[in-house]
Amino acid sequence: MSTSTTLNDIIPGSPAIQESTKVDDVTAMLDSIEGTVGTTRVENPKMEMREVDVFYADKQAIYDVDLDVARNEVIAMIGPSGCGKSTFLRCLNRMNDTIPICRVTGSITLDGVDINTREQDPVLLRARVGMVFQKPNPFAKSIFDNVAYGPRIHGLAANRAELDEIVISSLKRAGLYDEVKSRLDAPGTSLSGGQQQRLCIARTIAVNPEVILMDEPCSALDPIATARIEELIDELRENYAIAIVTHSMQQAARVSQRTAYFHLGKLVEVGKTNDIFTNPQHDLTENYITGRFG
Amino acid sequence: MSSTTEIVQASLARRYKAESRFRLYGIVAISISLSFLAFLLISITYKSIPAFYETQVQLTVNLDAEKLGVGASPDIKAIKTANYSGVIKGALREQFPDVKKRKAKKELYSLVSVGAQYQLRDFILEDPSVIGTEQTIWLIADDELNGLVTAVSDVTDIGDTPTRLSEQQRGWINTLQQQDQVKTGFNYTFFSAGDSREPELAGIKAALIGSAWVLLVTFLVSFPVAVAAAIYLEEFAPTNRWTDVIEVNINNLAAVPSIVFGLLGLAVFINFFALPRSAPLIGGIVLSLMTLPTIIISSRAALKAVPPSIREAAQGLGASKVQVVFHHVLPLAMPGILTGTIIGLAQALGETAPLLMIGMVAFIVDIPQSIVDPATALPVQVFLWSDSPERAFVAKTSAAIVVLLGFLVVMNAVAVFLRKRFERRW
Amino acid sequence: MADKLHLDQHISQKFNDELEDIRNRALLMGGLVEKQVSGGLQALLEGDSELGNQVVHTDHEVNSMEIEIDEMCNGILARRQPAASDLRLIVTVIKVITDLERIGDEAEKLGRFAVDLANSSELPAYRKELRHLGDLVESMLRDALHCFARMDYEAALKTAARDDDINAEYETLSRLLITHVMEDPRQVKNVFNITWCARALERIADHSVNICEYVVFLVKGKDIRHTNPKDISKSLFS
Repeated sequence: MSTSTTLNDIIPGSPAIQESTKVDDVTAMLDSIEGTVGTTRVENPKMEMREVDVFYADKQAIYDVDLDVARNEVIAMIGPSGCGKSTFLRCLNRMNDTIPICRVTGSITLDGVDINTREQDPVLLRARVGMVFQKPNPFAKSIFDNVAYGPRIHGLAANRAELDEIVISSLKRAGLYDEVKSRLDAPGTSLSGGQQQRLCIARTIAVNPEVILMDEPCSALDPIATARIEELIDELRENYAIAIVTHSMQQAARVSQRTAYFHLGKLVEVGKTNDIFTNPQHDLTENYITGRFG
Repeated sequence: MSSTTEIVQASLARRYKAESRFRLYGIVAISISLSFLAFLLISITYKSIPAFYETQVQLTVNLDAEKLGVGASPDIKAIKTANYSGVIKGALREQFPDVKKRKAKKELYSLVSVGAQYQLRDFILEDPSVIGTEQTIWLIADDELNGLVTAVSDVTDIGDTPTRLSEQQRGWINTLQQQDQVKTGFNYTFFSAGDSREPELAGIKAALIGSAWVLLVTFLVSFPVAVAAAIYLEEFAPTNRWTDVIEVNINNLAAVPSIVFGLLGLAVFINFFALPRSAPLIGGIVLSLMTLPTIIISSRAALKAVPPSIREAAQGLGASKVQVVFHHVLPLAMPGILTGTIIGLAQALGETAPLLMIGMVAFIVDIPQSIVDPATALPVQVFLWSDSPERAFVAKTSAAIVVLLGFLVVMNAVAVFLRKRFERRW
Repeated sequence: MADKLHLDQHISQKFNDELEDIRNRALLMGGLVEKQVSGGLQALLEGDSELGNQVVHTDHEVNSMEIEIDEMCNGILARRQPAASDLRLIVTVIKVITDLERIGDEAEKLGRFAVDLANSSELPAYRKELRHLGDLVESMLRDALHCFARMDYEAALKTAARDDDINAEYETLSRLLITHVMEDPRQVKNVFNITWCARALERIADHSVNICEYVVFLVKGKDIRHTNPKDISKSLFS
């Protein structure tokens, strides 16, 4: 609550608010965003992002974002389509490297070490920062091999027995083991959508990452499968830092401890999820989460 | 509300009519192409029938050592050079003792193929003790005889069936037939012999093996190169002007007339590298050049069709680029790549022009044993036979086409089988 | 409607209408309760038993309105999962109507006493002493409802601050009534009734304070209940 916008918002009746609350005048509001409303930093963060800009060729997708991901926390990133939240999430494990025209500036650190340096190998980084995608995308392999793939390529298991143990414990932690234990040789694609997504989560945690990124993990699932994934996210929070991008505000409200609202590539507001959903400080946040024009 | 119903109803009939009309166009189009195909297949198959039959004549030959012109205990060389032709002619004269005139005798001799003497030679080589005895054996009949007896049931009344056999010859045949001395069976020679000037002795085997060698070379050269090129272009290459140029040129390459590849093969491989002429090695390499763009284009399409989410998933787990491609993308693209490969190879199988340029049009009697032996290929064999004057070669040509089509069907079946196997896994 | 919460700017026009409807009904209920309070007061001051009865009967209407609005709020909570200002509006309405219903009960009490007093042998003159307190409370309730209608949290804070005056007036009135009892002990029953009425008025003022506090919560998202005024301004204007 240090920016001028916030002050305008707090003291009603001043001329500034009369103008800035005109919802159709979004661009003007956006230009007036000097920084982010709310506290972007946490104590002892798992990941820190400072002054992150992302460009696709000449087009800037992310403007000067500061944000921390805390340990054992779920941080939800919400915002309208094209606001850059997925792009931002993909910066965290350098998935944007795979897009040739994409350029990331600013500093992103994992446990205090910059991840964008030449010395930081993206393969190693992605073993530490796992990712779950929007569409359940199991490999065209058996359930067992799906989960075993990560440990295999990284050589995490010394022998077959260890591999079995990793696979089984990952499936258990993903809450899938009981449903698939009798058919670990069946193809991963034979599972239902919700099971496939849990398989993808099991696959991710089999590598034993420190941070898990989730890009709209439930958007292709029905409400019951969604509820199970959300329950799983909550359990995983004990061991991992989790950043989740979601289009469902209710989901953000349910699973996260902190929520970050992105708009047109800027981080508009960050705060405790409770506060964001009962009393957002920025009008854009308010408009978005209450379903108003803007 | 009701007006909407009326308007819609009024147009309904027109819309359904348009729909059924379109369906009709489709059916007509399919029928036309199917009938062309059926006409082609039926006419070729029909014409090829005589080629699959072989007629033999039973003769009692006197294998007298003197008549054969060999000693009492001849060595192999003597047997090989013995006068079999005279013995067969003698047997024929014995069969029809009334034939006295020179011209009639010549006509009589022509009932049996010139290949009969080799048949007799092989018979004796197998067991030289038959020398000095009288043997009743089946000998290959002449192609005209074969053509006639497979076409009509009664050789004395042939209607307007074209034949070069005279009435006298047909009478002899009739006599032989009545004595059960003519039999017609499946033509094994066609599948076990190489080319020959005599239609009844000509076989497809040399061309078939030649084609197989050529295809093997084509596959071994083009498949790895094309798949590697496709993977590089699709997964690794940066998008810039150079890759654009390469892409356009690959597409252009697919449109280059095949004879140009033949000229290239002639100039580069034979004249410059001095590789053996007429060999499947060169044929295969030249056809590879032609097949490459087809496989590259279809492989790229198959790779492109692999959902990006799979790549992302593997990358998200920390797989390196090469791991992503070889563990996930390539297995998923394999059925498509195989289909493209088979299409390319089928194209190569039917190609004649470039092979003519590199000398695979030579008259090859021997079965090629390796990729550097002189060989010919199925389509070239068709081309050669279609050019031959003997009537029986018409049937041979059709039969060769049938074999070529059969080869294609088998290849496609293998492709379908392989694809099913790959797909069935997931 | 030029309110501070942009209730009319939802993408869902129906949601706009529903929220507007709920708010209007709450205001309507407020108007009804306001009329009830002034009616009860008037009946008391003028010894009008008919008006008193009317006030008593109006309570049913208030009660049924409370239930109706409650149901609508529940429906919106279930179907729309409102967030932020919409959520605060719904929560505020639910709370405001509870307080309005209580105010209605207090007004009903005034009506009953008015009927009792009108039926008693003589009308005690000192019932007029209620007029000043009644006026203060009435205007406070009116202002609180205005603040709710206009979503004016500054005015709401000022209105809530007037509770101190009312409490002081109530003290004064109590002392005055004690003096009356001391002068004429036979009046003890009537004085007691008047004290009850004063008590009811004081309760109405307290409920009005609650409504003002809800308005601050609605507009600013800050819960200022049980907080001392200095901290309130600090948290609101920092």
